[in-house]
Amino acid sequence: MEVFVPLLDGFTVALTPLNLAYLSAGVLMGTVVGILPGLGPTAGIAILLPATLNVEPVTAIMMLAAIYYGAMYGATITAILINTPGVPAVMASTFDGHPLARQGRAGAALVMQAVASFTGGMTGLLLLALLAPFATTLATRFGPPEFFMLSAAGMLAIGAILGTERRSGILSALIGFALATIGLDVGSGQPRFTFGTAELLAGVPFIPLAIGVFGVGEILSATHEGGTRETNDRGARDSGGELPTKDEWAESRPAMLRGSAIGFLIGVVPGVGATLASLLAYGVEKGRSTSPERFGAGAMPGLAAPEAANNAAASGAMVPLLMLGVPGSAATAVLLGALLTWGLVPGPLLMTENPDFAWGLIASMALGNVALLAVSLGAVRVFAKIAQIPRGVAAPVVIVLCVVGAAASAGTFGMTVMWAGGLLGFAMKRFGFSTPAMIIGFVLAPLAEDSLRQTLVISGGSPAIFMERPVALLIGLLTLAAIVRGPLRASLPKGST
Amino acid sequence: MIPPTYLRRLLATFAVAGVVGCSGETVDRDAGAYPAERLRWTIPFGPGGGNDRMARTLIDIIDLYGWYPEGIEPSNRVGGSGAQGWGWVFARRGDPYQITTISGSFLTLPFQAGVPWTPSDFTPVALMASDDAILVVGSDSAPATFEAFLRSARDGPVAVGGVGALNSDVLTLRGLAREAGFTLRYVSFNGFGALSSALLSGAVDVVVTSPGEAIGLLRAGTLRGIAYAGAVPPAWMSDVPTFEELGYGGVVVSMPRGVVLAPEVEPAVQEWWIDTMRRVAATPEWATYLESAGLRREEVYGEEFGRALARLGRVFQSANEAEGR
Repeated sequence: MEVFVPLLDGFTVALTPLNLAYLSAGVLMGTVVGILPGLGPTAGIAILLPATLNVEPVTAIMMLAAIYYGAMYGATITAILINTPGVPAVMASTFDGHPLARQGRAGAALVMQAVASFTGGMTGLLLLALLAPFATTLATRFGPPEFFMLSAAGMLAIGAILGTERRSGILSALIGFALATIGLDVGSGQPRFTFGTAELLAGVPFIPLAIGVFGVGEILSATHEGGTRETNDRGARDSGGELPTKDEWAESRPAMLRGSAIGFLIGVVPGVGATLASLLAYGVEKGRSTSPERFGAGAMPGLAAPEAANNAAASGAMVPLLMLGVPGSAATAVLLGALLTWGLVPGPLLMTENPDFAWGLIASMALGNVALLAVSLGAVRVFAKIAQIPRGVAAPVVIVLCVVGAAASAGTFGMTVMWAGGLLGFAMKRFGFSTPAMIIGFVLAPLAEDSLRQTLVISGGSPAIFMERPVALLIGLLTLAAIVRGPLRASLPKGST
Repeated sequence: MIPPTYLRRLLATFAVAGVVGCSGETVDRDAGAYPAERLRWTIPFGPGGGNDRMARTLIDIIDLYGWYPEGIEPSNRVGGSGAQGWGWVFARRGDPYQITTISGSFLTLPFQAGVPWTPSDFTPVALMASDDAILVVGSDSAPATFEAFLRSARDGPVAVGGVGALNSDVLTLRGLAREAGFTLRYVSFNGFGALSSALLSGAVDVVVTSPGEAIGLLRAGTLRGIAYAGAVPPAWMSDVPTFEELGYGGVVVSMPRGVVLAPEVEPAVQEWWIDTMRRVAATPEWATYLESAGLRREEVYGEEFGRALARLGRVFQSANEAEGR
């Protein structure tokens, strides 16, 4: 197979002591950056970038890319343990990951996330090595009409996480939409709801908001609910399942593979990335499930699918970055800036002019994923213990971590956003609103708004453009099918589906 | 009883304070002996961005030739589209050891965000380069040349994509539409990633961008430039006609890339920096950087640079008001 020749060359590039040292540093840094919500991979890469100026670009990119995909592993740990996604891409992992931890099965959830992340990352890399040229054509099929259709499909995830509380759930998503309108409007260049402040010009920052709504909000509601019985303690004694059961593996395996495929495909599309991929993967799994009511209450496939998806997306994101020089996300935009800083020209010629660079990076990502699997599995015991710390002790520590994280991400302004988010999260939970629906709305709204307006400016206001572009039409039809499927199934007599 | 170690520490503290105090006084007396301290170079955007690359290139060149022996400390102070960084330098009124690099939002923040400063508040040092727009098409799309683009644009409204709603690229494009007599449908994107995806997918046929952003795709021939706003295109795209050659030189608005000091810095220090920047501009390293970043060499120093900034700020403000109505 001649495809593997450049990949093998890549391994000879990656397997030098210096490169391995940088790769390990990146893997470790990525895990830490992910676990401690606040810095985030984008800032982590940006901070380390100036330190890479004295080594070969290929050595440097191995470390910086490892921060990017390593953070996907680390962030899930925090998402599972304290329900706080420090990276938007692991939002979907809280839906079932945290309920598992509350049932005392943090260990099982962490094992599943490590294996699913590894599966997703490796499948993504395999597809990257085999399909890069094909995937490039795919990446160039997506413009504003397709982005809008994708964001609409992503919003189905809001439906998927809502139980019977539809009305308050939709209201919650709308609160997220409203928060997302704050900032400089891309279309007109006018500031919206910034009250004349410069801080709000760039919008409400995700990291402190998520830390506030989930981390602080969760602790405030737990304190408010009171009670002296430790749910964590009780759960741990009751179920004792330190590892996923045989049945859980069986149902999670296909979920991982589907998640990996969705993740890679969406990851390849520049501009939408891992967050949308994981939300879609979650929605698909719940839609396919024969027992969708278990989702949101600790269903393993509900954790495995989005985890595989966000890691596969991290691999897929290398396609537009390496093959086109087009950044698909904030983190890859910084990686692209790094290439320029090192004097490389990102673009279609990069692969041909610097094959060692591209293939060395891909090979290093495979090694990095192996290291991350080992680190994650090795650390399961420690983190599972953390889940059993009594709430009275854990809460103040978590609050301190939240404050530090918010300050690290956006200074005093970040802390203000965090406390405001904490009160909002608490109030929403108290009155039966859905904070996950809110945060999904917050993340997807800008993509939906920008792409819809861009589409309509291009077409002069005619929605027919969605029909004229095959990819947009296809995504639209699939979304529609997913919407009508539920009611259709319900209206059919029992047993016929 | 007070332990002796405590006394020793106390003495040491006084000794250090004395030394620091004395050195501080020396600086005050010898204001002429500039520089006497480490310089802080505030970069209001994150590492890897355009502002960051230019600032670090300037610092590297100054270090390489040993023109600032006390050392320069680059500091990325990110937030509020640059407002954090420039606000920080603005607050260091009169401090000769605070310098920063400017970007487009330096001119738009004062009326967009109500920051307490305007570009004229800072001590102007040097305009070092201009970032000129380039019109780019996907290589197999319909308008293969500037003339073909104009023809189709005059036939009906044409959608042209670009990054941001208010910057020199957009003003250049609007000027072109006015002069050449076509209706512009400007589609605003929030980054080069989304913009290039839209072009590659054929959702828009033409985009306006800066050559430095699209350099990889242009060099590979995946995208093609049809008109360049600068006077002389960089060598790697010498076949692209300029707006001047096409008869539209008058519509070009350039994005200034330059350096300013904190407000109300002494004229002697301002002169020192003007002199240093002149020397930087003459180095081969600077020429290499301009070429690779797709920037055009343009040098304007001191007060003349300050006036140019104020003028461009007013152009942006009136364009913004026209848009807001």
